[in-house]
Parts: sequence; structure tokens; C-alpha cells
Amino acid sequence: MHPSDRAVLQETRRQFFARGARGLGAAALATAIGDDLRASPSLNAPIGGLPGLPHFAPKAKRAIYMHMVGAPPQLDLYDYKPGMKDWYDKDLPESIRRGQRLTTMTSGQSRFPIAPSVFKFAQHGKSGAWISELLPHTSKMVDDIAILRSLHTEAINHEPAITFIQTGNMLSGKPCVGAWMAYGLGSMNQDLPTFVVLNATHTHPKANVQAISAKFWSAGYLSAQYAGVTLRAGGDPVLYISNPDGMPPQIRRRMLDGLSELNQIEHEKLADPETMVRIAQYEMAFRMQSSVPELTDISKETESTYNMYGPEARKGGTFANSCLMARRLVERGVRFVQIYHRGWDVHGNLPEVLPSQCKDVDQGCWALVQDLKQRGMLDDTLVIWGGEFGRTIYSQGKLTATDYGRDHHPRCFSLWMAGGGVKPGIVHGETDEFSYNITQDPVHVRDFQATILRLFGIDHERFTYKYQGLDQKLTGVEKATIVKAIMA
Amino acid sequence: MGVAGIFLGFAYLTLPLTAQQAAPRVDFQREVRPILSDACFHCHGPDKETRMAGLRLDTRDGAFSSRKNGTPITPGKLGESLLYQRITEEKVARRMPPASSHKTLTDKQKDTLKRWIEGGADWKEHWAFITPVRPVPPSVKSAQWARTPLDQFLLAKIENAGLTPAAPAGKRTLIRRVSLDLTGLPPSPEQVDEFLADKSTDAYEKLVDRLLASPQYGEHRARYWLDAARYADTHGLHVDNYREMWPYRDWVIGAFNRNVPFDRFTIEQVAGDLLPSKTLEQQIASGFHRCQVSTNEGGSIEKEVEAAYAKDRVDTTGTVFLGMTIGCATCHDHKFDPILQKDFYAMAAFFRNTTQAAMDGNIPDTPPQVVVPKMQDRPRWLELNAEVASLNNNLAAARKAPNATFDRWIESKERKALRSPLDTSSELLAVSVDKTAHLSRGRSTKNLALKSGVTVGESEKRQSLRFAAKSAISLPTLDQITADKPFSIATLVYLPKGEGNFTVASQLSRVKVDPPEVTKEGEVRKEILRGWTLEINARTPLLRLLGDNGRGIQIRSSSARRLKPGAWVQLTFTYDGSREQAGLGLYVDGATILTEGRGDPITHLPGTLTTKQPLVLGGDGNERYFADGAIADLRIFNRVITEEESRLAGVWPELAASRAKAASQLTAEQKEALRLYFLNGKDSSYRALVAQTNKANAERREIRNRGAVTLVMAEKPDTKPMANILYRGQYDQEREAVEPNSPSALPAMKDSLPRNRLGLAQWLVDPANPLVARVAVNRFWQEVFGTGIVRTAEDFGSQGEAPSHPELLDWLAVEFRESGWDVKKLFRLMVTSAAYRQESVSTDEKVKKDPDNRLLARGPRFRMDAEMIRDYALSASGLLAPAIGGPSVKPYQPDGLWETVAMQGSNTRYYKQDTGEKLYRRSLYTFWKRSAPPASMDIFNAPTRESCTVRRERTDTPLQALVTLNDPQFVEAARSLADRAMASVHDKVDAQFDFLSARLLARPLDPREREITRKAYKDYLNYYDSHPSDATKLLAVGESKPNPKLPVAEFAALTVVTNQLLNLDEVLNK
Repeated sequence: MHPSDRAVLQETRRQFFARGARGLGAAALATAIGDDLRASPSLNAPIGGLPGLPHFAPKAKRAIYMHMVGAPPQLDLYDYKPGMKDWYDKDLPESIRRGQRLTTMTSGQSRFPIAPSVFKFAQHGKSGAWISELLPHTSKMVDDIAILRSLHTEAINHEPAITFIQTGNMLSGKPCVGAWMAYGLGSMNQDLPTFVVLNATHTHPKANVQAISAKFWSAGYLSAQYAGVTLRAGGDPVLYISNPDGMPPQIRRRMLDGLSELNQIEHEKLADPETMVRIAQYEMAFRMQSSVPELTDISKETESTYNMYGPEARKGGTFANSCLMARRLVERGVRFVQIYHRGWDVHGNLPEVLPSQCKDVDQGCWALVQDLKQRGMLDDTLVIWGGEFGRTIYSQGKLTATDYGRDHHPRCFSLWMAGGGVKPGIVHGETDEFSYNITQDPVHVRDFQATILRLFGIDHERFTYKYQGLDQKLTGVEKATIVKAIMA
Repeated sequence: MGVAGIFLGFAYLTLPLTAQQAAPRVDFQREVRPILSDACFHCHGPDKETRMAGLRLDTRDGAFSSRKNGTPITPGKLGESLLYQRITEEKVARRMPPASSHKTLTDKQKDTLKRWIEGGADWKEHWAFITPVRPVPPSVKSAQWARTPLDQFLLAKIENAGLTPAAPAGKRTLIRRVSLDLTGLPPSPEQVDEFLADKSTDAYEKLVDRLLASPQYGEHRARYWLDAARYADTHGLHVDNYREMWPYRDWVIGAFNRNVPFDRFTIEQVAGDLLPSKTLEQQIASGFHRCQVSTNEGGSIEKEVEAAYAKDRVDTTGTVFLGMTIGCATCHDHKFDPILQKDFYAMAAFFRNTTQAAMDGNIPDTPPQVVVPKMQDRPRWLELNAEVASLNNNLAAARKAPNATFDRWIESKERKALRSPLDTSSELLAVSVDKTAHLSRGRSTKNLALKSGVTVGESEKRQSLRFAAKSAISLPTLDQITADKPFSIATLVYLPKGEGNFTVASQLSRVKVDPPEVTKEGEVRKEILRGWTLEINARTPLLRLLGDNGRGIQIRSSSARRLKPGAWVQLTFTYDGSREQAGLGLYVDGATILTEGRGDPITHLPGTLTTKQPLVLGGDGNERYFADGAIADLRIFNRVITEEESRLAGVWPELAASRAKAASQLTAEQKEALRLYFLNGKDSSYRALVAQTNKANAERREIRNRGAVTLVMAEKPDTKPMANILYRGQYDQEREAVEPNSPSALPAMKDSLPRNRLGLAQWLVDPANPLVARVAVNRFWQEVFGTGIVRTAEDFGSQGEAPSHPELLDWLAVEFRESGWDVKKLFRLMVTSAAYRQESVSTDEKVKKDPDNRLLARGPRFRMDAEMIRDYALSASGLLAPAIGGPSVKPYQPDGLWETVAMQGSNTRYYKQDTGEKLYRRSLYTFWKRSAPPASMDIFNAPTRESCTVRRERTDTPLQALVTLNDPQFVEAARSLADRAMASVHDKVDAQFDFLSARLLARPLDPREREITRKAYKDYLNYYDSHPSDATKLLAVGESKPNPKLPVAEFAALTVVTNQLLNLDEVLNK
């Protein structure tokens, strides 16, 4: 190999991983470009990532973020308001509402009748957190998680609100938190993507389902290689990963060898370093073809694992299956896993739909946290569960003793975090007796994002990317405060 | 970005293009201003809100004027330059930039500033704001190398860097490269042979002209432009339904092919709708700003959405035409460029006088819209429109003209015998009201039995059936309404005040579904309806016909023309028995009106709509009513009725009331009604006019139905554009009102220009505008050479990258403008340059000194975009369907991509793959769903089209390799090409290789390549010989059928060889 080629390739490889962060590896590259490069010290470090990052010793190295699309009602799950029983069908006092804007779905309502939750709550664990009867499994692990009841946002509709909590901005076009992680911290594996997205199915036929789109896991102005890669339950788990019918792996391998030889000839002719990148790219693709089936083959998981996650975990695409898959992904060095579960937009039929939604996710969430704990991975894996905003105490539509709905409510909502440097067994923040306004320890979406970064050892102020002339940040231009109280 | 990207950071930190040379002179624009901008302007720049110590370093005044504590910059004197003192300050607390800014200056940057001040601190306004003047091309050593003035500019820098240009590329390389650049497609072997055979000195120029003249040129140019225009086939947000936007896409293709001058091209897209005597084409062009995403999310706050739409239009206009990040001034003054927050809102004002509603209605043709007849129908369409207008005038005049026969008739007994506005034989049912309400069916008429809540009385001067809340009235069933027979419903109704949803009349049967069923579309159905319903929802009238399984068709008026509440209106719905949505018609007050919802997925009426249920007036028989509404007359006919007849039906109450009156007692309205009746029945010349009108209208309808409708821009006629400054960009924080205007830092709009979008468009292309021509040529340059002269094609501001060849950029901009904005000429100029015609062979020195090939000391070579790669495979394999334009198509796509993200009820929830030719159209015709863009293109860096993109990324990821290896589209292309190779050359594998390489590489394989391919083929053949079932499986990929006569093992082996060649770096690169 020509010395200058080698220089190029040294650079190429580092940069390739930085760009790819798709992992795929040293060995593949070495096959492609000669073993003499294998000894590079950078191979033991994360692949890609920014120099100087993390800024501090990180508590979390990876994350699994479960987003409940449609916004779960905090009032029926985590924000217990026993006093509301006495307010049944009374109007929300103006002293609470204070003229705050409403969505156009209920702004025309003549009344805002209070709908107390029909579900029972009980205290659990050492922390004594009040949890709804709809979450029996989550109730068992309150001492593993930190419940935040005082999240708030500015967005009042799903599309902008999800975009906001994922990307720090209500308008699309900004990178999501997973993409920032992939960009800043790089990959911890060589055969799989750095940032993986799973879309879980929901069960209840009447669940009100909101749209999701690739913009939520996009890389925005960061290079597209940092965008989330969807791992699918049906068809090819990773798009186009399967060879065509009638082409066995050995023929693919033989074909790639021939391809590589031909590309080498081209490189001799044109001396374009890009050609070597191409060769490596195809080798990495081949490795991915081998590693993805291993990843998605869950037949070797033990009975005790399935007992934990429940029988649904065997069924591709369910939430429990997604949780199991998330664990397998982080085990294999994936940095960030995002799980979406839809159907939480309970404008009506709440008492009918919500139990099913909770049943979809409750056991999987619990099992995931326990599983990580058992494997010693919870300490450095951040687990997050939440939606994009909260819901109103007053009923949308007709209120009866057994039926009500709740409209969007950006002023307070609950979510929980666990592992990865989060203080376990705490409840943070309080809302007023109507769960309408925050009375203590408000946590803005930006604060939440700054805290996630901090857990990863990143100073959100210093983690920037120049775009449109500005040093863009996940947390945007407004001030963001780290929620120290929830950090271990 | 490829390898280019690899070196980017490195190259600019250590090897600025000119810094390695001996010349110590510091270039302010290129070297100094970027440092000041990045490190200082945030606190010492245009934004007064964040400005510290009242100091500005972005203006000459600010930087050079003395202040209390000294002068920021004193030319030649470091000691008297506070700026230098502060950046080199020992004490950290006093050092600039401060730690809190997270900015630091490197020693090299400090040295640059030092040398700049020492050298006299030459200061210029930011280069992009200075109107370009044509520079003289520099003199160069190897002058004979240059073929165009471009080459002189380029060569000067190449020589300056101590490099030499590469050798001229061979003819094969050249024809492949230029075909790809001008048409997006590889040359055919015949074209290659023809070019090789042409020994004339201008063979290449002739080739270029041929390519420029081919219609594929426009397709290829349009493909880039559609990224900038954020063109897509769905609304983009929430339900993300289909939108009929493709006529705009076809306009762009046509405009490039017609070589519409770029200034015209700009004006028509920004303001085609405002041009005097605008053409249909110009209106379609204004769809540029209707390509933006829109929403119909329930609960959205309209003002917020409207502010977001205006912002997108400003951002897009700023990026596409001005190369300015104007959007940065949404919340505050721009931090780096002299764009004030006020400038942003002055630009936004241009876009805030639109008739477009905030909510897109989830319909394909959200108003404002135009009918787009098929190309061959357009002349006739215009003729017909003129004809109908003139006929309507004549009819109106005839209704006013003195008419002695009428005067006699009015006295006759005949008129007192009137029984119906139209022929009674076609009337199935009539409800009329005088002092009581009557129901007529055939020849029998009886009084209508009223129910509680339904009364007869006067509403707004008309006797009518009035409906209180939750009251309706049931009539016997009307079983003549069937799916296969025409019928019409004409009714005169009083629309209550407010925005409610009403059912005026209906005939529905309901079948309970218990437990509720979930349809394939994900709807939960508790009951299934059959029959028809006439509704007025949010002041738009609607007729729904529901057949088997609750499926059906509907027509509703455009939301742009809402009915007046608290007033009477005559509605006539017609249906021709065709079961098609296009078979429905609607007249309001006797005139055809714009309807919407064309192309909705509900387009066919299945089964029967007949029901035994009663006909209900004032509700749907269940939960919807016509509270506070009234019906003065309602008639159902067993045929389609015309516009004129609907007018007649509308005057029945007057006709009826006139019967008992003597001629002398008739009111003016009654006389007018009688005259209309008389003219229609008795006046042959009037009847002839009506017949002509009906004929013309029928023809118009046909043309409309086979054409399309597309979204365009339209201004409110009664208000002037204006905008309020929004504090911190928040929609509900309105501040000072501003008039529409161009940004203050750029040459002012001439007084003669109108203060609307047309004025804005004309200002953009004014020769004094320093940006538009530069920004345009830079993007065209980027298409050909891979990187713009200004790499940041979207940002020519302070924070963008300075041009690599500023003089060349100016020369091109002036040349482009002075050529009459001739786009083809510009492309011709670029591709005939010596720089373009070089080999793309690199050397170590070139890779090291100029990794990105910015100097162009070798020919341009880079990985093609997604569409080109796919089109290449289709074209080379012979699968490509050559049709140009038309509705978007749905080629192969992995299952499930849409439904995992889409909402229930979205009409783009399920991807229904097309078949036949539509699988093989060029990629710019692929249906673009914004929330799930075409997967194989997305993987190759295609944008989502949610916002304007003028520069795509170019990454290399393993996922891309998987596409070209495994996507059925590519596997099928390989098989298809192998098929053709085997069919044309029997039994000679080598010749078959030649067949492949001629199409994939535009050259024969060299001996080594041939040997490698031979060996590979042999291995594949061995395998497939012993695994014939695998061979059969492989050959079955794709919809097109493999040639059954070919031996399967050989066929499969050659398919794998083709798949291998299709994935060559040489194929994937231009």
C-alpha cells in the first residue's frame, strides 16, 4: 500500500466511523484495507464521537427512552388527587384555570366539569409513591425509579409537542436527543446502528392513535447518519438487510469479494480515497447482515426472562417484545434506543381505553428495569418513560360517573426515569390539587433534556453544533436548568 | 459528503486554500470576517438586545471609531487596537471572547487578526451584500489550457496551489459524465458509439446541445429544484393525507425544458398568481409556496399555524433566492447578519394576506386551487371558459330585456296552472310550503303532518318549515334513489347563524356492529350506514352517498366559499348514476361552484344505496339535526338537472306564490321568477342559449374530471399585506405592525414596485440585488461540480463559508444575469469548460492539498444522489418507463413503512404498490409521503421535504449498500439487464459481459476486470447449476417476468454478475 494511501485510510476509517457511527467494524475494515491498520489505539475507544466528550465522568452510557405517543393522563396514573372526588362534575375554578389557553377541541365547551380519576391509587415501596391500580408492575418498582410530576411544556398539540420533547424545538428540522447522542458520543459497537427506534403495537381497538414520523428520530441538521434506524418487527428487521431469495450468504460473500477486487482496480486507476470507503462500506453491510439476525433471534432467551416480560414478549412488535429487544440492543452496544407506543390520546372513553394501554406497557417496563438490574446494566443505562404533555382534570365531552375524556394539558405532566445516575425511589415536583398548575419544582422540557445530557456527562451549554451560523444546542437558546434533585 | 467530508475540518484548520502560499496579505472577507463573525458578533453585532458595551464590530463605524477606553481597531497599530489587546489579554477575566461565550480564538486566528491589523486593516462590507461586477479573468501561465473564462479563474488558483490540471478525460468518460449531469441518465451504447464516431472538433459541443434539448434535461434539473421547493405529495403533518401538487412538479420540469429565463422562473413561482392576465401555467407555478407542510390537527390554534406558515415561506424564500438565513431573525435581530427582526416580519407580511385557511382540511385540493386540464385540453378549456362567461352574460341580458310575449303570457291563465318548476314527470318528490307544508309525490299532494318542534312560519321573509333543536320530521321512504340511476336534490334552506354542523335531509339505514369492528383502515365502527345525507358542515354544503359496507362518495363545496350564515341559500346536488365521485355535481344559488375533495380515497359507490328507511327532513334520524334552520322548498328529481334548472327550482316559492295573483299584483321577485320560467319554457332563443350553455358546461365538466386540481397562491382582495412583529417569535405576542418590505440591508424596493408578492418577486430579480444571481449560479455549480463555490449554498451570510473563488462567482453571476438569466447557457458554459472535461484521476498531492476538489485540478466525481442511482439502474437495464409527468407513482417499497407511523383514517396509511409501467418511472415521480419518505431514497440522503433543502448530504453508510444489493428494484434491474444480454448474445459469456459493461460503464472491461468477472461468473454458475431452485427464486424477483427460454443457471449467474457490476463504485459515482 502506498504510504499516502495509508494516511488517507487512517483518516478515512476514523472519519468513516465518525460519520457512520453505524458501527461495523474494525475487522471488516481490516479485511478490506489490510491488517496492518488493525492496531490503531482508537479502536478500543468509542467509535466516532466528538473529542472532549463527555465533559464529565458519565453516569449513563446508554439510554432506553419509551415515549407514550398521545400523552398519558397523569391524573389517572402518577399524580394522585384524592380531593377531586368531592369536585365531581363541578366546574374547574377560574382561579385555577387563570384564563390559560385551551385547545380548540375544548375551548368551545360551555363547562369544564371536573372528572376525578375512576381508578384507585395506593402507596408503594419505601418511597411511598402513590400509583394507580392500572400499573401493578410499575408499582412494584417505585424504589427503582424517580417519578417526576412537574414536567411542563409550551406545546399544546401532539405533533409540535413530541417534536419539542424529542428535539428541543416545536418546529421540525432539529436533531432528536438520540441523534445528538450518536453524534456526540459515537458508537459502542461495530455491527449495529448507534441509535435504534422501535415502534410497538397497541391493543385496544378504540385507542385514539396519533401519527408519528421519522422527523421524531431524525438527525435534523446533523449528518443523516446519526438518525435513528428503525428495527422492524415484520419483514426485514433492518430495511433491505436480507439477500434476495435464491442468493445464499456464500454467493453474496463471493460477489462482494469480486466487487471489492474490481473496486481496487478502480482505485488504482483514479486514486480516489472514496473508493476505499466504498469497499469498507460494503464489508460493513455484510457484517450487519450477519449480526442483525443474531440480534433479532430471541429464541435463546430463557424461560425466566419470558416469565418476567410476559408471554406477549414472544410476539414480535408488542411493547413487551420491544422492551426485550431494547435490552438486547443495549447489551450489544447500541447507544440509544427509542420505543414508541401509540394510542394514549384519551379525549374520550378514557376509563375503557386506558386500562388496556397500561396493560400493554406496564409489565414490559418493569421487566426491562429488573432485567437490566439483574445484568448489572441499570447503573449505566438510563431508562425513561413518558409522553409529550399532560391532560386536563376537566372532562372533554360528556362526563358521567363511569365515562370521561381528557384534553391536552401542557402545564404539567408526569414521567419517570431510572438507572443511569438517576436517584431511585423519589418523587419530584408537585402540582396543585387539580393537577393543573405546578406548585413545586417545575421541570421544563429543556431542563429534562439538559438533565439527560448531564447524566451522560455532557454540559448542554457546551454541546453545540454550528448550523445556520449559530451554535445550536439540544436545549435551544432559552435557559435550561439541570434537575440535580433527581441525580444520584 | 464522502471523503470530502473526511478532510473538511482538517483542511480548513490547517490548510486554507490560500494560506499556504507565501503572500502574507490577509484576505478580510475570507479570513478575517469569519473570525469576527463567529467569535465577536454575537455580543458585538447586529442584535441590539444582546449587544455588550454598546460596541459593534460588524460595521466599519463600530470597529474603527474611538471610544472612551480606546479604539477597537487602529490600522497598522496593534498597540492602539483594543480588539487585539483584549483577545491577547493575559488576565482570563478580561480576555475576549469571554469564557461564558464558550468561544475561544486559536493562536492561528489571533495571528490572522494581528497580521490583518498590521497590514492596514482593510475593511469591506460583507462580500455577499456588494452587487457583483464582472471581474476580468486573471492571467495564467498555461493560458492554452483554458477553454472558457471559467477556466482562467480556476487555473489561477490551481497554479497558485502549485498543482497542474489533470489530463482531458476520454470520450467515454466524458459522455457518461455529461449525460448524467444534463439528463440524470447514463448514455445508451448507441449514443456512446455515435459520439465516438463523431470525429469533428465540436463533437462534444454537439453532444451537449443534444442533451440540453432532451426532455430528460428538464426532469433532471427539476429534481434538484423540488428539494428547494420542498415538494411532496402529502400535507406533511398529522394525518398527512394526499395532496394534489404534482401539476406544480410538472410545471418545473416544463419550465427547465422551455428554458424559462431564471428571472421569469422566479417571478412566476413567487407571484405567478398576481401577474396581470395570468395564465394557468403561471398560477400553477405559484404552487411553489403551496408546497409547504400544512396541518389539520384538531385543537391547533389557527394563529399559531398561520405564523408558522408565514415563517416557512420567509425561510424558504430567504434560502432559495437570497441564500440568507432570514429565519434567524424570527425571535430577535440576526446575530451575525444585518437582518433585523423587523426585516423578518416585513418579509413575512408578503405572505400573510393569503386566502389559504390555517387548516388544510385533510383534503387533496385545499383552496386556493385551480383546475388543471390535461395539456391537450387546455386550449379548449380556455375557449369554453370564455364561451360560458359570454353565454352567461347573454342569458342575464335576455332575462332583463323587454319581452312583449312575456308581457302577454303573464296575463294568461296558463301561468296560473304551474305545478312544478321543472317537468313534473321527473319530479319524484316535492316539499313546498305556503301557509302549510305540502308533500307531493307524482300527482298526489297532501299536507305534511308536523311533529313537535317543527313548525311552519316565516323565517327571514320566507314561509318555511322551521326546525327547533332536536326536531325532525319523517316522510315515507323514497325507494327510487338507487346507485345506478341519476337523481338530483334541489332545496332552498335557511342556514342558521354560527358555525355548526347540520343535517338538512337524509335517508339512512343503520346496522349496529356489536362488538365494534375495527376496519383495515383502523376505524372503529359501531354502526354501518347506508343511504344518503345532505349536510351543511361549518358552512359548507355536502352530499354523501353511502352504499355497501358504509362506503361511498361525496361532494362538498370548497371551504374557500363558505355559505353566509343567517341567510337563505338554494342548494342543488346532482348525481348521474355512475357510482363515481366525478358523477356528483353541486350548484349554489343557481351557479356551479368550486367543490373540493377530488381524488379522495372514497371514489366509488359500491353495492346499493337503497334503503327502506324514511326520508328525514331536519336531521339524520339519530343524533344530528338542523336546529334553528328552515326549509322553504325541497325537490328530488329522477335525472341530472342543469345549472339553469337549479336556478328555476330555486324560484319555486315565488312561482307558487304568484299563481293566485293577478299580474298587476305581482312583486318584482315574482315577476322575475315568472320571467325565468317563461324564458325557459317558451322562449326558443333563450332555450337555445341555455342548451348551448349546458353543452359547454358539460364539456367543461368532462375536461375538469379528466384533469387535475392543484394548490396555488391567492391574495385576499380586500385587505393589504401586513404583519405584526411577534415578540420572541410567539404567535400570541403581537407587537408593532409592519408593512411588507425587503430586508433593510439589501438594496431597497423601488417605489414603483407593488407592495405585495409580485413586488417582492420583481425586487428579487432586480439587477441591483447582489444575491439572487450568485445564489442561483452557485447551486447550479454545485449540481455539476459537487460543491458550490460557496460551500454553504444555503447561507451566504457572515457565518456561511466564504467563496472558494469569489471572482469566478461574481463573473458567473453577472454573466448569468446579462445572458438574460439563461439557464441552459450556463450549464453549457460549465460543462464545456476545460475544468469539467478533465479526468477525475487524483494524485497524492491533490488529495492532500485539495481533498474536496474545490480547486478542480481534477474532474468532478462524487457519489450520485438517490434518484440518479435508481434511475441509472432502471435506464441501463432497459426497464425505465419514459413517460414524463402526471400523478406520482408507488414503486417497490418494503411492507409496513407507512402504517407503522400513520394515523387511523389517513389516506396514506397503507402503501398500495403500483404495477406495470408505474414501477419503472423516473424517481422524481415516486410518491413522496413526508412522514415516511421513500425508504431507499431516504437512506441515500434524500430529504423529507418538510422544509426547503438546497444542499443534500452525501454520506456513505452500510444501509446504502444494502439498498443497491438487495432492494427488489435493483435486483430486478440486474436480472432484466442480464436477460437482455443473454437474449442478444447467445452462448458467449464474454460478449454478454461486454453487453453489460457498455450499459453500466459506457466502456468495455479491461483484461483484469474481465478475468475477475469470468471467475466470479464461473463460481456463481457452479452454485446455480447444483441449486436450480435457488436460481429460479432469484430470477423471480420483481414484477416483470424473466425470459422462460433462458437456461436458469446461466441466467442466475449472469444476474449475480450484473448485481455485482451495478454496485461498482464506478457505477455509483458520476
